[in-house]
Amino acid sequence: MALPPILVLGIFIGLPIGLAFFLSIGYTGGLNEVISIIGQDVRGRDGKLFTLQAYKDVIADPRFAGDLKTTLIVSFVATILVLIFSIGVGLLQRLRGGKLSSILTGLSLTPLFIPVVISSWALYTFYGSAGLYRTIFNSFGLDIPQITSTMLAVIIGSIWTSLPFAILMVTSGFQSVPNALIEAAQDAGASLITIIRTVMLPLALIPIIIVATFTSIGVLGSFTIPYFLGPNQPTMFGVEITNFFTAYNRPQQSVVMAFIVFAAASGIAISYIWANFRSAKESGRV
Amino acid sequence: MRKNKLVSILAVAGLAVATLGFTASTSHAAVFQVRLYVSGDTNVEKMWLTELIPAFEKANPNYNVDVSSFDLHGKNDALTLAKIMAAAKLKKDAGFDVIEAGFVQELGLKGFLTIPSTSRIPNISKVPDSLMELAKGGIPYRASTVLLAYNSKVVATPPKTMDDLLVWIKANPGRFTYNQPSGGGSGYAFAQSVIDKYMTDADIKTLVNEVNKPLQAKWKAGFDVLKSLNPYTYGKNGTYPSGNAATLSLVSNGSVDMATVWSDQFLSGLKAGTIPSYWKVAQISGPALTGGPAMLGVPKGSRQGVAAQRFINWVLSPAAQNIIVGGTLNGYPVIPVTLLSEANQSKFAVGTDISTLRPGYLSSNSTDFKNQWALEVPGK
Repeated sequence: MALPPILVLGIFIGLPIGLAFFLSIGYTGGLNEVISIIGQDVRGRDGKLFTLQAYKDVIADPRFAGDLKTTLIVSFVATILVLIFSIGVGLLQRLRGGKLSSILTGLSLTPLFIPVVISSWALYTFYGSAGLYRTIFNSFGLDIPQITSTMLAVIIGSIWTSLPFAILMVTSGFQSVPNALIEAAQDAGASLITIIRTVMLPLALIPIIIVATFTSIGVLGSFTIPYFLGPNQPTMFGVEITNFFTAYNRPQQSVVMAFIVFAAASGIAISYIWANFRSAKESGRV
Repeated sequence: MRKNKLVSILAVAGLAVATLGFTASTSHAAVFQVRLYVSGDTNVEKMWLTELIPAFEKANPNYNVDVSSFDLHGKNDALTLAKIMAAAKLKKDAGFDVIEAGFVQELGLKGFLTIPSTSRIPNISKVPDSLMELAKGGIPYRASTVLLAYNSKVVATPPKTMDDLLVWIKANPGRFTYNQPSGGGSGYAFAQSVIDKYMTDADIKTLVNEVNKPLQAKWKAGFDVLKSLNPYTYGKNGTYPSGNAATLSLVSNGSVDMATVWSDQFLSGLKAGTIPSYWKVAQISGPALTGGPAMLGVPKGSRQGVAAQRFINWVLSPAAQNIIVGGTLNGYPVIPVTLLSEANQSKFAVGTDISTLRPGYLSSNSTDFKNQWALEVPGK
């Protein structure tokens, strides 16, 4: 039964990844021949088993360090902020309930229904130099700098796109904490902070880790938000890979960057696998 | 009775099949299908789909033009180029008979295009020789140029030369912008024109016509000037709009007072009302902002090569050129202005000569240029 999906994955995903990997280490013949003819600055292996020259080129490129730093900082900060917001809304809904929390949860799902391109343009207009955000401050006589084309705008945009899924996951995680445990802690005289720290968070740990991994991997590979809202340089890898592939016509270097991002994402994915494994173990499936 | 009914049903069915077959075969025999590939912005797509193709099919009822693939902003240019080259290597059909894309020149240089001849496309005799030479086997069919757009309420007399423009930019911090060269041609034109100010005419000509890496070292002086503009362009922080559309949105909401724009996109925006009527455009000199022709090409393995060339011949006819100039695109013609309708002639200053547009670099030099710009200019 598992064979057809594995075949499809193998042919349509595995094969291209394999080809790209061989291109990145200098195999410019065979199925990679045409792309090697078109591309500029393609490094061949010249009869050797493989060459890492393309990797060296990319790492030596002055843009690489800045892009790497930007990508990691944006992914890290956006993930932390998404976690804080989603845990906050989740706790409010679980412990307090009421109208405010329902409105917040409802509102936070709005981005799910707005295409990313549209919301990027909206954010671009809102935070741009003639946007509402600066206009409001200006009416009080404050001339604040515009934040489009900065990393801050990219972080805001990333939070906007990642928050709905995070809130859905985290709220459902908190919902599954039994009332009995919370009440027992209250009876024992535990403060709100203690209850959150020792009962709520540990019990919802797995959904929180899943949110953290999905958000950071999603932001790591994002294109639209940094393309519209970010600075030209340094930029995030999603944009830089596209630039190298199309605008600069350097397919090999873009493939190399893709593998570097892939390595970073795999690191994050390990924690996701660990979380899944742990939850499977708890429910006795492993 | 029963048998009769069956026979009549069969007869009707047989007749139906025969009719179907008959109509199918007649329509098949008469129609030449030309498969067009277009890579460009939405205004180009609109011109092909709603103006040029319907007009062509009306004038030539036995032709059918199929825009088999439209590639917005040319995002898949590299893939398409690969597909065409791979198909040519294997002597297979690439799936296109006519190509409009930025890489037509490159295909021509590498020998993948049918060389245009006056016997198949008589109308190319009306296209200036300098443009035909630049096209390397492609066929120029319309042109546009990048111009300096300015808010006439703020700027009474626009800069006339590149030097004046650079002075104006520094005197009015944050009020000028151009988009990143990799994102669109309007910003690219400004960047290349600043660079060209520090190059000799012979060097520029070489970079327009052939791949030349060593010559690229001479870009340094111009890049230093572009870098020095970082604190003075929109945002004042060395960041630039992502593409042509982003520049136009800054123009239309008044965030800047001056920017470089495509002539056709600007005129369309003015017509549509998205750009306020007090915005005007002007060309500068020393050097002029670049412009040039858009080209069509017929790949060598095309299945409908003859029909494709007939289609191109029509596109170069005054009827089609009038649509390009007078329609939604507001393009420049590639045939002499005097061959256009009077209404369209009045759009151009007397003596407008399309062959004097200053062309951009050859594609592989221009990709290197975009790459260098990203290294040298933004955020520095």
